Amino acid sequence: MQRAIERRGVPTVSVTVARDVTEHATPPRAVFVPFMMGHHFGVPFHWDLQRRIVLEALDRLGKAERSGEIHDVPVTWAEARREGVAIERALGLRTERRPG
Amino acid sequence: MTGTSSDREQLRPGLWATVNERYPGSMITKPDLVPLARLEKSLAQTRLTFVSTAGVQPKGTLPFDVVHPVGDYSFRRVPSTAEPADLEIHQLKYPTDGANRDLNVIFPIERLRELAAEGVVGGLTPDFFSFIGYNMDPERLERTLAEEIAAAVAADGAEAALLAPA
Repeated sequence: MQRAIERRGVPTVSVTVARDVTEHATPPRAVFVPFMMGHHFGVPFHWDLQRRIVLEALDRLGKAERSGEIHDVPVTWAEARREGVAIERALGLRTERRPG
Repeated sequence: MTGTSSDREQLRPGLWATVNERYPGSMITKPDLVPLARLEKSLAQTRLTFVSTAGVQPKGTLPFDVVHPVGDYSFRRVPSTAEPADLEIHQLKYPTDGANRDLNVIFPIERLRELAAEGVVGGLTPDFFSFIGYNMDPERLERTLAEEIAAAVAADGAEAALLAPA
């Protein structure tokens, strides 16, 4: 898919959570995030992280020099989840269990 | 906290091999590289589109056929002005618990609109493009759906494309 778009002269970049699949498919540009499948842009309500992943990907449009390169975004799922939980608490979307 | 290198490994290792074992021939390997198309202008002047395999579609459109034995090779247009509440997901093959609470985790339509409104990107195409992954015949996908979406992306005046293969 990505290769078909690129062949029409439109530069492309994908966000992948499966580095091995992307290594096989060799799309022109990709960024890898070690996130859960279906969570390529992070966790619910973590708008800063979602935005960051989009921007990390778009940044490759001008910077990638070789087709097939995969750029690793320095994030971790554990950290994303931890931050997401804190955000949901602050928004009142997650209620704490109180002892007793 | 800083992650260790093991934190940065793919959460579900060996995905290519395990899927290909379950559905022989469904996973692709492309030894050749497609020459890079160059960004003609700065990002702030570039009209962006988004292509997703997450099965996101406007409510009321024909649901993707998620149980067809060889897959659904159609795509839906998703207006880039759509609100998450106007959209729904028809796909079984990835965890949607995050997306069900905030669609932007897999289909960042609100983040893209913000970036366009702020001028970080020059604009968005009127429609984004959506289909479902886990189609079992990659050659058919490449011959039909990939070419149809690529043609639509180019015809709609996209100058760059962000993709999220779910």
